[in-house]
This record gives sequence, structure tokens and C-alpha cells, in this order.
Amino acid sequence: MPRREDIHTILVLGSGPIKIGQAAEFDFSGSQAVRALREDGYEVILVNSNPATIQNDPEMADKVYIEPLLASTVESILRKEKPDALLAGMGGQTALNIASQLAHSGLLEELGVELIGSDLAAIDKAEDRQLFNEVCVSIGLSVSDARACHNMEEILAAADELGTWPLLIRPAFTLGGLGGGTAYDTGQLVEIASLGLRNSHIGQVLIEESIIGWQEYEYEVMRDGADNCLIVCTMENIDPMGVHTGESVVIAPIQSLSDSDHQMLRDEALALIRALDIRGGCNVQFAFNQFTGESRVIEVNPRVSRSSALASKATGYPIARMAAKIAVGYNLGELPNPITGDGTTAAFEPTLDYCVIKIPRWPFDKFRTADRTLGTSMKSTGEVMAIGRNFEEAFLKAWSCLEQGCPHPRPLTRADESDGEGMLARATEPLPDRILVDWLRIATDRRMGALIEAFRRGWTVEQVHEITRITRWFLYGFENIARIEGEIRSFPSDIAALDAEDLLAWKSRGFSDGHIVDALSDFPPAGIASLGYGRDEESLLNRRHALGIHPRYRMVDSCAAEFAAKTPYYYSTYEPWSERGVDLLPDLETRVKKRQVVLGSGPIRIGQGIEFDYGCVHAVMAIREAGMDSILINNNPETVSTDFDTSDRLYFEPLTLEYVTEVLLREQAHGILLQFGGQTAINVALPLKERVEKMDSLDVKMLGTSCDAIDEASDRARFESFATRIGLLMPNGETCTNAIDMRKSAARIGFPVLIRPSYVLGGRGMEILGNQKQLDAYLAEAYLASDRPLLVDEYLGEATELDVDAVCDGDEVLIGAVMEHLEEAGIHSGDSTCFIPTQNIDSQMIELIEQQTRAIGLGLGIVGCYNIQFAIKGPELYVLEVNPRSSRTVPFVAKSTGLPLARIAARCTLGIKLAEQEIPEPVSGQVCVKAPVFPFIKLQGLDPAPGPEMKSTGEVYGCDLRADVAYLKARLATEVPVATGGAAYLTVRDGSKEGLCEIAHDLIALGFNLFATQGTADVLRTDGVLVETVYRIAERKHPDALDLMRDGTVSFIVNVPTISGGAVRDGNMMRRLAVELNIPFVTTMSGARMEVAAIKARQECDLEPMLLKVNY
Amino acid sequence: MTVYGVSNRYAPLLPEACEILRENADVEEADGDGVLLLADGAIYRGTLFGARGIGEGELVFTTGMTGYQESLTDPSFAGQVLTFTYPMIGNYGIHNNRSESGGVWARGVVVRSAMKQPDHRDSIASVGRFLAAFGVPGIENVDTRSITRRVRELGTVLCVFGPAEDEAALRERLAVLRSPELDDLVDLVSVNDAVILNPGSRGESGHLLPRIAALDCGIKYNILRSLCRYFEVIWCPPDIAFESIEELGAQALFCSNGPGDPAHPGMASRARDCLAEGIKAKLPVMGICLGHQLLGLSSGLQTYKMRYGHRGANQPVVDLQSDQVWITSQNHGFAVADPDAGMLAAHPLAVESEEVENLHGNQVVVRYVNANDRTVEGLDVVGAPAFSVQFHPEACPGPHDAHALFARFKDMVESYIRGGD
Repeated sequence: MPRREDIHTILVLGSGPIKIGQAAEFDFSGSQAVRALREDGYEVILVNSNPATIQNDPEMADKVYIEPLLASTVESILRKEKPDALLAGMGGQTALNIASQLAHSGLLEELGVELIGSDLAAIDKAEDRQLFNEVCVSIGLSVSDARACHNMEEILAAADELGTWPLLIRPAFTLGGLGGGTAYDTGQLVEIASLGLRNSHIGQVLIEESIIGWQEYEYEVMRDGADNCLIVCTMENIDPMGVHTGESVVIAPIQSLSDSDHQMLRDEALALIRALDIRGGCNVQFAFNQFTGESRVIEVNPRVSRSSALASKATGYPIARMAAKIAVGYNLGELPNPITGDGTTAAFEPTLDYCVIKIPRWPFDKFRTADRTLGTSMKSTGEVMAIGRNFEEAFLKAWSCLEQGCPHPRPLTRADESDGEGMLARATEPLPDRILVDWLRIATDRRMGALIEAFRRGWTVEQVHEITRITRWFLYGFENIARIEGEIRSFPSDIAALDAEDLLAWKSRGFSDGHIVDALSDFPPAGIASLGYGRDEESLLNRRHALGIHPRYRMVDSCAAEFAAKTPYYYSTYEPWSERGVDLLPDLETRVKKRQVVLGSGPIRIGQGIEFDYGCVHAVMAIREAGMDSILINNNPETVSTDFDTSDRLYFEPLTLEYVTEVLLREQAHGILLQFGGQTAINVALPLKERVEKMDSLDVKMLGTSCDAIDEASDRARFESFATRIGLLMPNGETCTNAIDMRKSAARIGFPVLIRPSYVLGGRGMEILGNQKQLDAYLAEAYLASDRPLLVDEYLGEATELDVDAVCDGDEVLIGAVMEHLEEAGIHSGDSTCFIPTQNIDSQMIELIEQQTRAIGLGLGIVGCYNIQFAIKGPELYVLEVNPRSSRTVPFVAKSTGLPLARIAARCTLGIKLAEQEIPEPVSGQVCVKAPVFPFIKLQGLDPAPGPEMKSTGEVYGCDLRADVAYLKARLATEVPVATGGAAYLTVRDGSKEGLCEIAHDLIALGFNLFATQGTADVLRTDGVLVETVYRIAERKHPDALDLMRDGTVSFIVNVPTISGGAVRDGNMMRRLAVELNIPFVTTMSGARMEVAAIKARQECDLEPMLLKVNY
Repeated sequence: MTVYGVSNRYAPLLPEACEILRENADVEEADGDGVLLLADGAIYRGTLFGARGIGEGELVFTTGMTGYQESLTDPSFAGQVLTFTYPMIGNYGIHNNRSESGGVWARGVVVRSAMKQPDHRDSIASVGRFLAAFGVPGIENVDTRSITRRVRELGTVLCVFGPAEDEAALRERLAVLRSPELDDLVDLVSVNDAVILNPGSRGESGHLLPRIAALDCGIKYNILRSLCRYFEVIWCPPDIAFESIEELGAQALFCSNGPGDPAHPGMASRARDCLAEGIKAKLPVMGICLGHQLLGLSSGLQTYKMRYGHRGANQPVVDLQSDQVWITSQNHGFAVADPDAGMLAAHPLAVESEEVENLHGNQVVVRYVNANDRTVEGLDVVGAPAFSVQFHPEACPGPHDAHALFARFKDMVESYIRGGD
């Protein structure tokens, strides 16, 4: 069927903020889908609450609403815009739920809006477990056998019927699977199930056959309206069942299935998708018992997903694009294949001549107290992908992409158990075997390193298989990595003596230069940085180049080279016996366009999220606009930047010096832009500069802010002297490299002090320490070394914090926006709620801020983007930090003011002065709010309170003419409810009680009952506030706050905790429970005031959706 | 007539390639440096595996990611050196009862990595061991993507590989190497005597299954298995006379896949003539792969050599009647020329086969085309119950999308029998 002519306007739902389990993949899919629809002439209206996406850039859709993704908001937009159709399959579970809700309520029918893509019946059949099981059984597929039980008799009977052990116990309707588990005998079953019955809200537990230890496979399926059906990609989880597929290391295509196994599952996947009547892209998950050949269907996602994003990047097949085309009537056979072009169609199954490894990126490096165990719910924030011609190569490259600790595996020592004092000494002691067994047995982020370590110690594949149940095929791969590593270790460490044959053999198994020199030096405990010249990474690179060994670049073409492909999407590999010499781009000498490289930002992690990918995409656009070739290097499969047609050429590679150097060589690049890829790219800047200076074969310019200026902005001492020189005020602070200095500095500056490591992003290990005791506790865990100093700063309590994003071209400065934080300084800027324009700053101060911003930009010699954090305390303006790069807030500024700051900055780096650019008039007359979204529900053991260390995963946006309404919208968009009535519970630390009575009076006026702890209640009563006192949790008497929360009395909590350095703070338990019960809470007084204003605004007025406005 | 597999209705017991592993269990595998020489002058270096000795033939590539055992034992690869584009071959080892014939027919195997440690519940040997047992040499650690690109651009070429130290000798051999297509490859891979499979078998409703004749031009076992689901099958040599088929009481005729040029004057031409007789007699006829090309030739169409053919498990085929797309398994280097468009995706040296007259007098229409290059993928004979497809509905390796074609043939046969009653 050709394009549908009966629809004209399509409303597309995005997926909202980046959170664990739903990350940038929907920006990628959504953007691709919107482009596909618009090129067909459809008018697209987009709704998404996330300001940091490319998808809701003004030029992406005809109309953009950055509004909360709630059924009520979408309803008012539908009523206002009256589109013909609604496309929900590109916005993850969030969009699907909203669409399903609106369809079931009859609204879509009432408004005559058609749900395109999979219809409601298909969505219901895939999402409703009961219906889904019926469909599976009707076509003869096995689902895992489960019985719903309401009492112990039923449970024991179910166990009898199922007749296999172990059994899985899953309580129905509990948060985070509370009270579930695996029972290996009747005793355990009774124990776990009785707890489960108690915890379930409806007193029901599911007793299920356990398929723990089975293998897990995924099939990505496409189906069109004419029932053409095909598999785009197959994927195999390395971790056996029991670990969520998003938490598992995944390989594509499937490695361990024979053709007949694979065809059986393929048939099942196609039959299922036909039975469910899904149209577009979807994903089928199977469990497979590799010893018996049995299979079980686990689930189907009737939409594009994280897996489909990975499948798109792994194969080159644009799933979201094709799914969007199918939604508007096209059949696969009618759609040209954009990869292979000329005459080929989308009706084909990609075939690969490489393999792809995905490794999740977990936040445990930042959240040291969080439980690292991986299970059935997700904890990772993002993922990396790497491509290689064999398992070892793809795996080791993926490891290098992670940017977590060392870029290659090293022998495990006691230092790997935790950071802190004595780490160096512990680095000489191997990790004890019994701990290694635990690291293998229990799936955590450490498991992959432990696998290699086990083989280093000579454990056999059978032993490790027995412990882990991981398919032997992968274990052979890990064993091979350890074997090659051992071979390198046994070589004399003289790099000059290495011959081409050995080196090429190691390189073709994915060993990085750093890995090889580290192994040649027998892995010195002090790390690779301790290797001297002649034995270091650079010496190896020189030797390798002298031998003429360079990677070859292979195209991801979806067809294993069977056809000439057009996708300029490459990965590197070392082919044995390949012709030597640099593998230059074909026709390099005839290319006239300048080649500019943009470094991406790698995996999404706390502190470095989608905002940086947004910047990279804009940089690429600026390069293309300027008539040059844009070349992007990145390794994040979820993003828009790694879409095959975003840049002129895409390299899917680790963002380490070695891989970046080789790409620069291959491209003979003219310039490289480093300020858009977050700290990842900044970290490469200085070493790259040194390398470029030494290599004759490289003539690449570092565009934008010079390395020296970057250093001046980032180096504490240098920046301090700069600040003094131009008359800026900074909080007192000192840099320390050891514990003794730290204690001295803290004493000189005076408590409380703010501690932060330099040169890292998102404030890892950043804490406010109130006294000596807390400092001692911190030092016991922190790791200091001369290359990892800590900064000790005066803590500016009660100060107003501001962010400024600006662009400088060397002569002139463009200020994007001055943002005011709702929360006081001391709460990480990434976690704060932020307003444009500022709400409480007088014009004189704004002028001073702008003046200092200009002075800093010009004084440092910034060319491109920069971000400054200021604090106002009393009459004084302090500079806290200057980031000489695109910042987290750049997209927020762009959406709020209509200034595409990243693109303007990128033009400056290309040498186009601000004066030569058409800078659009900023949008005025509205208030825009950015609010953070936190991962607390997913991460047990993490204190759910914002602090100096960043914890949020994403952000949402609210915009209105009124500040309180704008804030309300942003708050609603966080998916934590805004209280409408009931009772508020107040507990506020001494010293912050000012303004408390006002808030209390307001809450009572809004119809709330008040509860408070003794101290807080006393203060309130002096002002005549009616309040009921409850016990503090520590008093262990009832009723306490937890009781009131559990019984549903409390609907809003103001909890301003005392500053205390440790992770477990007063009130942690209450906040944890609030997170689990989804009760809103604020932890600052300013936050409380704003929240009360929002509650009031919600009672007063209806929310009016606002169209995104820009003046270009 | 020999009789096989009386015991099992759907899966006759057939001589299995894996049996050689028992006989030749201790044959040593090759190792050491190897060199692969292409007729266009290209040289690839690698490491030897599989059998010791020299591999030579026409260099082709297949893009399937699984199913190497099925491909290695597919008689259509006779005379060819098979390159796998998937870089890790042998992951799940070699399995009993997964071979598509009693032997390995490729004359050499080129891979990026041959996995030494297979892992699968059914695995009985590594791919290297299997090749060694069959005397087929392999070369690994070769840049197979570069080879694929070269073949894609130049078309299939002749090649020789063997120990690196014998490079000069190999070069001489290559200089005199003649195209295996000149040989009667069908004769090499087909049975010599008729064999009856599952005699007296009954269908689900208890009726005796119709008897059909299957011309073996290099038939894949899964075709036999698929046919045995619906028929009692007489597995015939390709040069069987049509009269003998009639005498044997066959109620339909099938012609299989096979190696080489369909226009070869040897066995292939005998099978072609037999097919034409069948169509003329209005017997239900089905052809697969070479069988399809022979049906085309017998209908007065021409065939030609393709640039590099279709070999893999992801070839999209459009049914021009329904617009439905199937993902199919394919393995062919020749094609039927489109009666309207001529040679598509042709080899640089391709010439159309000599024009022959329509041997059975019925018109044919193109029913299936390849969605990528629009080459002919299937023919329907007008006015007779006969059709043929270029792709492999029996899969093995590859997807089962087109499996319904065997049911189509069954329906034709049943309708023929009803009409004949």
C-alpha cells in the first residue's frame, strides 16, 4: 500500500526525561521517525517534556510542545490541534501508556484521532499478561509457567503442579519486586512466599517455574500492513536469565545457536508478531535452554525500544524510520533501502560480517553506597557499543568505551574492592579467590573483569561455567583474552624488539596500545600512568606505526559487502595480513571539502547525559552548514549523533587517544572540535595536542578554545590567579594531594567545607563536610594521588546559585541566558531546579554577572561555548567554576530563549565570528523552568536527597507566562505527583526555619493538615499554626512519619536535613519510603516555597499547553 | 531399486556426511601459513586449517550468518571455493543429521576465523575436523571482507590456495586451472540409481501418499525430507528416462538444485529434457534452483552466469501476484534471463545460453523476482501444473518463509490425481 492520503497531521509522543530504563534511545528513534514523516509531507506535532532532546528542536517538527507527558496534557493538545493521527510507538513505555489510556477512555474516538502504528487491540494483547499468554498458547508457543496464588495452600499446590525446582516467587503489585525471590525447596518457598503474600497489595503471589540460568535471546522484528515480516537483528545476552536484558552484556548477532535453533526461534517470533497483529518495529525476547533446546517466550515490546536502537546501530537498518513509514501505510517492499540504495528495498534481513558488543554503563562509580547487584530491574544509565571482527576485539573495544577506571582489563587486586586510604598498598595484593568466586557468581558490574581474572588464574572454562552458567562459547573468548595477555606478559618489555606479526595478532584481538604496554610491563600496581617514556603507550604507538600497522576501517552496510553501500558508517579493525600502511579514505586527494571531526560524549551517565549529544549534533549541523565534511566519533548506540545520516561520516569507536588518533590519520582531518563532547572530549584535548605536535603525519587544528585556555579554566591554581588578575571573587579554596594537607586546609578555611576532585564531571566524590569527624570519614574512603588532587573550598551556605551559558568568538561575547537555581549553592547545579529568566536578582546584579561573564570569556580567550557557575551571597558575587565547553544547560537555554547556542558556538570554532552570524532575537515574556529527574526508585542504598554530588539522570521542562505555573508544569513532568490535598509533614533543621511559618500558613489555607516533628512543631505553634506532633523515626515510637506515609495520610513532605557528610543521613529512611510510595518531598526551604506556590497554582488555574517559540 | 528409511515417514534415514568423522577420526588437521591466489592477481595470506592439501575452484561468497554445515554439504557448491562473510565460523560445531548430503562438496573454504572450540549440546566435532575428515582444505585469518568486495566488483574468479611455501607451484596451478563449470558437476554429485524413500507411507488421514519422482541434480536432503512429508519419493538419477518415471508410477515430477551451468550439455540437459516431457504430459512439476533454471531452459528461456550470484539466507523475493515479500535462502551463480529485460546482474564475462526452442509448448510467466536486483526468481507454466523457484523453500540453512511452496506442489498433485480419477 502506498502512502496514506487520508491523514495530514500526526501527533508524535516523545518519551520524556532520561531515566534509568528509558534513555536517549527514544530521542534517536523519535527524531528518525519525525524526519521520516515530514519528508513524506505530513505535518508533525511533537510532544515531549525533555528539553535536552534533538527531537523537540524547533526545526525538527512543525509544532513542538515541551509539556508534561501526562494523559491530561496530551488530551488538551489533541483538543487544541485536532490532528488526524497519533503515533505512540516512538516514545517508549511512557507514550504507549498515554496512548493506551486515551484510546481506552474513548477520547481518540471522540476526537476522530486514529492511533497509527500498532492499534489498541495489538497493544493490549502485547501488554496485558493474561491476553499475551493466551495468544502465545493459541499458536503453540511456550510461556513460562506461572500460577497466581492467594494463600499457602494454593502456593504448595502450585509448586506440586509445576513440579520443578527452583521456583520463582513474584508478589503481584509491589514496588521494586519487594518480597520476591527464588526458592530451591519447600522450606524456602514457604518462607519467601509468606513474605510475598504480606507485601502484595492484593495478597497475591505468582509461583513461576524458574528459568534462571537459561540463555536469553532477542529478535528485532519488522512487520508491515501487508503482513510482510522480517528479522532485523538477533541478539544474545551473555549473562544468563535473571539479569535484565538492559543490564546484560549483549552480543549481536546470536553466536551460540545453530541454524536450526535460530530458525525455530525466528519462526516463533514471526508467528507471534502476526498473532499480535503488530505493525512497525517490535522486539521479542526468548529464554532458551541450551541443554535441552526448549524455549519460552518472555515478552514482546510492541514498539521501538532500547534494543531496537541497538539493533539499528548494530546493523545499519533504520528501524524507527521504517516503522514510521509503515505507520502511514507503506509496505516494506515499497520503501527504498537507504543503506544500499539503488533498487534495494527495506524488505530484507541485514547480515553482518562483524559482531557487536553492548556493555551497560552503571552509576556505581558515583554511587558507592548503592547496591551493585544486577537483577530483573535496571540500574544502568546508558550503554556503549563496539564493533569488531571477533568477540575479543569487540569486547575489549567496548571496555575502552566505558570510560570507567582503566580503559582495559587489569589483574584484580584488593584495591578493586574499594577506593580510599591504603589503596596503593592494596593494589599489590591480588584479590582473594573466594572474593573472585563471589564476583563471578553474583552478577554485578564487576563480573566481566572477574571472568578474565579467573582465566588469568588458570581456572578452567568448566569451572567458570559451573559458577556463572555463562555459555561456554563466551568463556572461551574471555579465556583467549587472558591467554593473549599472558603471552604479552611473557615477552621482554622492550617495545623496540616487537615484531609486526605478534603485534598484529594482538591488535586483531582488540588489544589497545595501552593494554599491550601495561601487559608488557606486567601490570605495575601504580597503573599505566607510572610507565616511563620508552615503555608507555606512545612508544608502542610509534613502534606500531613504524611497522606500518594501522587499523582498517570497515563499513557497517547491513549486507556484509554484498552490495556497494552508501552508509558512511565505519568501525576499525585490524585484519591479519592486510596490506600495510594507513588505510586512508578513498579518493582523499580529490576531496575538496574541509574535514572537521567532532568528538562525541560516550555513554549516558550521571553528569554527562543527552545534553552533550545534543551539542554534538548541533556542532555537526554547523559544520555541514558551513560547507565542510563533518566527521563524528562516538560509541553510544542510543543517540541521535550516531544515527547513520547525522554526520557525513560516523566512526563507532572508543573515545580514547589511540582510536581518535587513528581516525584523524585516516581522515587527514583539518580540525577537531572538542568542546561538545562533555568532559570525555575535554580529557582527550591536552594529550591529543601533545601528540599532534609530535606526529608529522597529522596536521589537525584543535578548533575553538585553546588547550592552554582549557587548562587555565580548569586548573584551580591557574584560575585563581586569573580571577585575582581580573578582579573576580572566589570562595576560599586550596588544592590538596594528601590527607595531611587536607586536614590543614580544612582548618584554615573553616567548616563547613566543600570537597571536590578536580577535572571530573558531575562532582564525583563531591561532599559538604561539617566537621573534623566527617572529614576523617571522607578521607578513609577517598583516593588521593598527585594526579588526582582534591579541592577544599569554603562552603557558601544560603547563597543563590546561578548558571550562565555564553559563547565567545575571541572578540565578542553572546550571553545565552542567566539561570537562577531554586536551590541554594551546595546542591549540584545538575540537580537543581533552574529558572530563565532569573526571578529574584536585581538588574544591577544581572549587569555585574554579564560583565564578569564577558570578562572571563575574553580574558581566558574562549572560542566557542562556556558555562560559568556564580553564587550570590549577601551583596557579593562569587565565581564558583568555569567550564570551557558546552554545558548541560545549553539545550535548556536554546529551548527557553530560542538561541541555538551550541550551533552558534560551533560556528565560532569554525572561524565564523558572531558578527557574521545571523543571531535570532531571543524569545521573551515567558518563564521557563528546568527540573531534575532522579533515579532513586531504581537504586537501593542511595540517599534520595539532592546534595553536592549529582544524582539526577535527566531533566524536564515547564514553560508558561507565570513562574509558578511554569514550575508546576515542570514538576508534573517529573512524574512525581504534585500534592493536591491531604496532609503535609514538616521537619526542618535548626537554622533553616525562617519562612517556615509562612509556608505552613499557606498549606493550611490550601486545605492541608500539618504534621511535624517536635522541634519544627514548636516553632510553628509560636506563630499560631495548627499542627500535630509526631514522633521522630529515631524515637522508635508510633505513630511516626513512616506510619503516616504508609497509611496514606501524608501527601507532601518538607524535609530539610542537617548537613552531614555521610551517605546515611537523618531522614534517609523517610525519603526512601517517600520514593517508594511516590510521595513528593522537598529538601530545601526555597523548594518548599515554590512547591506550595505550585500547589496553589494548580488549584487556581487550568494548564494551557505552550507552543515552543523561536524567532528563526 | 534400493530402499531407504522405511522406518520414518517424514525423515528418511539418509547417508550422513558426519559418518566420515568416525572413519577418519584421526586425520590430522592442517596448520601453518597459507596463501590464497586469485586469478586476477590478488594475493591473500592466512593460516591453513581443515585438510592438508590444495584448495582450488571458483571463488564465491555466502552471507549467511548461521548454517555453515548445511552450506558445506550442499552439493550446489561443488567445484567452488566457499568464502563465508560471517567472520566466526564453527561456533556451534558440527551436528549429526544436519548435513544436506553425504559429503562436503566445496573444494576449499575461506574464513576469517575458524572456531576451534565449538559449543553446542549437539556438537560432535569442530568445523576444521570435519573438513579434515573429508579432505577439504581451508584457510583462515584471511581478510574475507576484502575478498567479498573484490568478487562483488570483478565477479566470481578462479582461485587456488595452499601452503605459503608452495606459492610458486600454486601460481602455476592457477595458470592452468580450468573453470569447474566445464565439468559435468551434476554427474559428480547425483545418485546413480533410483532409490525409493518411505515406500507405502500414509498421510495424516491414513491414505497412501502419492508417488513422485525427484530428479537428483545434487539434491539437498531437506528437499527430500520436505517432499517426504507429502509424498512417497523416488529419488532418481538426473538422466533417468521419462518413460522409466512413468513406468515407476510417479504421479508428479520434481527437479532439484545442483551445481554448475544449467546449459551444460551433460547430465543437466538430460534432466531438462525429462522435465519438458513431464510438462508436456501435464504431470505436476516443481523445480528448485537448478531445477528452476532447467524448467526455464526447457520453456525456451535463456540462462546466464551472474556477476557473483546470490548466496545467503537473506535474499528478498517478491511474489508478483500478491506483492508479498519472502526472505529466502539462496545459492546460485546462474539465473534465468528475464524474457523482457534480459540478463540482470550479469557476470562481466556472461553470455546468454544458446537459444533453444520451447520443448513443451507451454508459455511461462515470471511469478517471483528478487526485490534487490529484479532477477527472475520463479516461473509459473501457463496451462500446465508446473512451477519453479530459484530460491530454496526447504531452507537449511536459512528462513522458512517459502516453505508453503511444498504444500502448493502437494495441492497440484492432489488436484492432478482428482482430475485423473
